[in-house]
Amino acid sequence: MSEQPYKQPPITEAVIELRFATAIEADDITKVSAALKPLYPLQQPIRGIEVRLNVPPPGQQGVTAAHETHGSRLSTEDQTQIVLAWPAQFVFSQLAPYPGWDVFFERFCRDWAAWKRTLGYRKITRIGVRYINRIDIPATAPIIEHEEYLNIYPHMPTELQSLMAYSVVAQLPLPDIGCILTLNSSSAPSQLLGHAAFIVDQDIGKDDDPPQSDEEIYALLNQIRVKKNEVFEACITPRARELFKPCQV
Amino acid sequence: MSGLIITPRRLSGTTANWTMGASLHSALSTETNIIANWLDELRRPSSASVTPTTEGQSLERRVFDALADAKVSTSKVAMHLERDLRDRLFRQLDSLHETDQWEEDDEPLNHASFQTFLKAILTIRPARRPGLGLSHTGNLIAAWTTARDRLTIEFLPNDRVSWVLARYDDTDEPARFAGQTNVSELVEGLAPHRPDHWFSHASKSHEPSQ
Repeated sequence: MSEQPYKQPPITEAVIELRFATAIEADDITKVSAALKPLYPLQQPIRGIEVRLNVPPPGQQGVTAAHETHGSRLSTEDQTQIVLAWPAQFVFSQLAPYPGWDVFFERFCRDWAAWKRTLGYRKITRIGVRYINRIDIPATAPIIEHEEYLNIYPHMPTELQSLMAYSVVAQLPLPDIGCILTLNSSSAPSQLLGHAAFIVDQDIGKDDDPPQSDEEIYALLNQIRVKKNEVFEACITPRARELFKPCQV
Repeated sequence: MSGLIITPRRLSGTTANWTMGASLHSALSTETNIIANWLDELRRPSSASVTPTTEGQSLERRVFDALADAKVSTSKVAMHLERDLRDRLFRQLDSLHETDQWEEDDEPLNHASFQTFLKAILTIRPARRPGLGLSHTGNLIAAWTTARDRLTIEFLPNDRVSWVLARYDDTDEPARFAGQTNVSELVEGLAPHRPDHWFSHASKSHEPSQ
């Protein structure tokens, strides 16, 4: 069993996503939704619309293409455990309170087994893990020095100080596990009075020749888990850690 | 250090929905729009923000959506909530939305009202949990009673709260007070009326629990 480092982890959402080479039919989404119904009693249809608009030079005709996909959103009664079944995606999500990797991963293995039992093998084109953290910092002064809590933020010239809000995005390779990290950090509207909030959102994914067998998928996910912890710890300072109430001091 | 100014001003949305010159797309060059779209792709929305389609607006459907929204909103602050408070809150919300007891024009929980409630409850952190009700427009109402004394707070959209209290203080005629403030000023507004009379367990001995 792995240990939870914090009593109050700032994770607002943890996600594992598998993408497939081919889309499944609407009937298959119905089947997999039915198979998961005992685990996720609340089920709702969802719709994704992708519109591509090509703005042409004057005198030429533009092209608009719209593509609509239908899926199913499955959730527990308390809405903290969510599965999105899209034609070419299996999205598995945990909202706060985060129960720890072991519980989260075990749930994923259970539901992935149910998905495969129902629909069989599909070629996987991407495996990704995303963790969204929101760090709530008590605002004891009119200016929050976010640099005291975070190691990721925009570097501003001395002439431009006192930010009202910011957002930075970086993408970098993780060669030791063959993945790509997309790291997104921003200020955010606080959900708590008298606090400022900052997001550390990381998405670690493998697009290039992702594993296909369960054993290899689970091994990759556990590698990603170690890496995402390293990335998160690198993005925060000891002062931020104090906010999450470390289990071991 | 550059710091971040905490401003009471409302920003235009969150940084998640900032786009490069969103209102200028048609005026920007193709290359600029490609860069802007690429940046937007990197800021993908979370799966929790995928909202179900709202085909049909039956009462049952609106109730389902209202409860789901409230529970997802609660998850956003769940790391700051005690487990028993969250569980009790969900039971109360479920109970409030048993539609067989509803009038025809009753409205389910207003999401903006619930967000105001969460902010208030996380600030006050009352030891005694309130009884909850819904106004006919869907605003959440919390009530605390100690003996004959009663404090009622209605949580309005846009971080507003309206409160009314009645205290008997060993007389037959109650003193009544009321106010409407921003939720950030609620504690200050109630302070002269010694709200611990309702919020703390010390006052509970006077009254059966709710």
